Amino acid sequence: MKARLARGLKGAVRPAGNDSSLLLDPNHPSAPRPQGMRRYAEREPVDMLIVGCGAGGATLAQRLARRAWKVVVLEAGPFWDPDKDWVSDEAGSHALYWTEPRVIGGSDPVELGKNNSGRGVGGSMVHFAGFAPRFHPSDFEVASRDGVAADWPISYEELRPHYERLEHELPVAGEHWPWGDPHGYPHSPHPVGGGALRMIEGAERCGIEMRVGPVAIANGSFGNRPHCIYRGLCLQGCKVGAKGSPLVTHVPDALAHGVEIRAECMATRIELDEAGRCSGVTYFSEGRERFQAAEAVAVAGYSIETPRLLLHSTSARFPNGLANGNDLVGRRVMVQGAPQIAGRFPEELRMYKAPPPEIASEQFYETEEGRGFARGFSIQTVGPLPIGWAEHVLADGHWGQALREYMRDYNHWYVIGALNELLPLPENRVTLAEETDANGMPVARMDYSQCDNDRANIAFGKQRMREIVRAAGAQDVLEIDRYAHLVGGCPMSDSPESGVVDSDHRAWEVPNLFIADGSVMPTQGSANPALTIMALSARLGERLADKRVTATPKHRQEVPA
Amino acid sequence: MSGDAGHLPSRAGTEPGGPPQSLPRQRRGKTPQMLGRYPDYDVLAEVSHWDEPTRRVVLDRVERVPPIRFFDEREAATIGAFCDVVLAQDSEPRIPVLAMVDEKLFERKGEGYRHADMPPDPQAWREVARMLDAAAAEQGAEDFAGAERDAQLRIADRFSQGKLDWEGLPVAKAWGLVMRDILSAFYSHPWAWNEIGFGGPAYPRGYARLGPGQREHWESPPEFELDPVRDVTERGLE
Repeated sequence: MKARLARGLKGAVRPAGNDSSLLLDPNHPSAPRPQGMRRYAEREPVDMLIVGCGAGGATLAQRLARRAWKVVVLEAGPFWDPDKDWVSDEAGSHALYWTEPRVIGGSDPVELGKNNSGRGVGGSMVHFAGFAPRFHPSDFEVASRDGVAADWPISYEELRPHYERLEHELPVAGEHWPWGDPHGYPHSPHPVGGGALRMIEGAERCGIEMRVGPVAIANGSFGNRPHCIYRGLCLQGCKVGAKGSPLVTHVPDALAHGVEIRAECMATRIELDEAGRCSGVTYFSEGRERFQAAEAVAVAGYSIETPRLLLHSTSARFPNGLANGNDLVGRRVMVQGAPQIAGRFPEELRMYKAPPPEIASEQFYETEEGRGFARGFSIQTVGPLPIGWAEHVLADGHWGQALREYMRDYNHWYVIGALNELLPLPENRVTLAEETDANGMPVARMDYSQCDNDRANIAFGKQRMREIVRAAGAQDVLEIDRYAHLVGGCPMSDSPESGVVDSDHRAWEVPNLFIADGSVMPTQGSANPALTIMALSARLGERLADKRVTATPKHRQEVPA
Repeated sequence: MSGDAGHLPSRAGTEPGGPPQSLPRQRRGKTPQMLGRYPDYDVLAEVSHWDEPTRRVVLDRVERVPPIRFFDEREAATIGAFCDVVLAQDSEPRIPVLAMVDEKLFERKGEGYRHADMPPDPQAWREVARMLDAAAAEQGAEDFAGAERDAQLRIADRFSQGKLDWEGLPVAKAWGLVMRDILSAFYSHPWAWNEIGFGGPAYPRGYARLGPGQREHWESPPEFELDPVRDVTERGLE
């Protein structure tokens, strides 16, 4: 009875405390309009000044604004108008990515830009595929359980209520999820394309279970957001407004509750007062330097720009960068291994249709005796468009006539990929390069090298995927090695010697400085990080507003939500 | 070659080869070299179903070939010939990849990263042009554009394997960089979409037929089903 009732209510339950989907204009549902947005004076300290309007920053802004905090968000990129700014086209979506110069090094350098770095209101979630899995409870105690990496100073249980709430806000669609902490989703699973059907069969023959979802795409209309049209361009920004990103899930409600989002404003320094507290942020807007005063600052620029901003904010008190007294800022930056295996099938599968995120398995997520390495990986679908597919063919060693011939065969291929949990290593770090950007600020340099555990994990994941693709009936197979998803760089920890922020995201060394993005993650699991970044910010917002975290604006009275 | 994909063709020689013999000529719309698997499919017949910003961006690639402004004359000749070789564009109609790459470099559109041991992208492109000319000179040609087709293929093959030497340029990374830009240009062009049967932009119309072997009413069936892995191997294309 209860199960039937729950099924009947699928997609019908409105999220509490977030009216974003109703605030969007039904005729332009892919983004809110900033006209009529509240404005704050620069000299008057706002309660919270947030740097970055992506998954972390936008969620925190919305939560605090609901509790009557005065919030300004500085965003380096534009306030998108998807109707005009976005195109249903792979190469034409260049502006969605952070394409400012950055330097990469190490023995396994990570290519930045379109694969992992967003720009503009909505952040990287604007061009993320849409997978929105939770982390597993084991992710929060990796050191205790597996003897590698670090434990988090918080447990899964502390994030669970925020996961549940956010899954209604995005909303997330998928089958019942049997892995980690088993749970259902508020929206029913989407239909899947021919390739995913093949992979489900192949996996089954290998004794591997794959399930549909979890994707942050409403199944059916959601408030004023329309149904997904399965056009396959999730990674190019959802013109439809069906895929969840902060632009449609949290920014509308934040604006309605008095948040000011200052787009095209690049933060260059966090300023300190004599008492060692942040006084505000210096930023560039239209080529001019400006300053916004604040009672507290939350940095949400993601794993490259957050460390860069802190490292560039030097002072007599912090000559090596703000909150960097222990030389930990920028360290333990992580990416997931993301090898992909493509299979060729006799019938046309046309993998450009349907959202690229279709099905997933987390059966290999945790450490298993006998594999020879710690932690694990998940398996998901990928669905590259022609340019992505060309990169695939090139990576397998083909060019010229052979490349053209593989490309002409595009419609017969389907691609699955792994997300391998690579370990946080102190030498994998973000530093400042000598090169500077247009504002005179040194650009970020990211060094990355794998360890033996990482290599063993990736090799094992590829072997499992090859088995699935073969068992699905593939006539031939291609493969590519790549990375996905930045996190880490300013880990949360239970002591100042082991991390940059405490369990309340507050910098150990600066009482009113918070970090509210994926850079606080001590480990990364094998799950796509977006939902967890949002859940962390939602938790932080709740704790700040409830005054369970001190050193926040002293004058603020409790205001019911 | 990556990994242990042992079934894939080994790079046995550098025979220029050609497209498979039975590959149909394009009957409707254009494809590069007028060959393709979908001879009656023209994605540009669907433009009235696309949203306006998308239509503008895609049609620009066909209707507005930009002038060469970044490369000098000699570089343009070298890079133009190189693009033809690595894309097997050996006859008209050609997708104007040189002009598309030149525009990207002229407008200083970055990708968001530079390898620590690589020069900035625009400089790397110029170095590649010089390297190709020098490699052609070693084979007795005046420059890369003037070299015999076989010599061009041999040079491209060595480049692809990181076996060319050039001061200040990590050659394997340079191959990755130039091929990234070349492939992004080529496969952003609707003529290439016709060749491979890609449905193209589908906003606001969307796709409704997702299952194996299903097609929208405006998508065309293929007239060619050869598995490229087998064909490329059997013909010793690589």
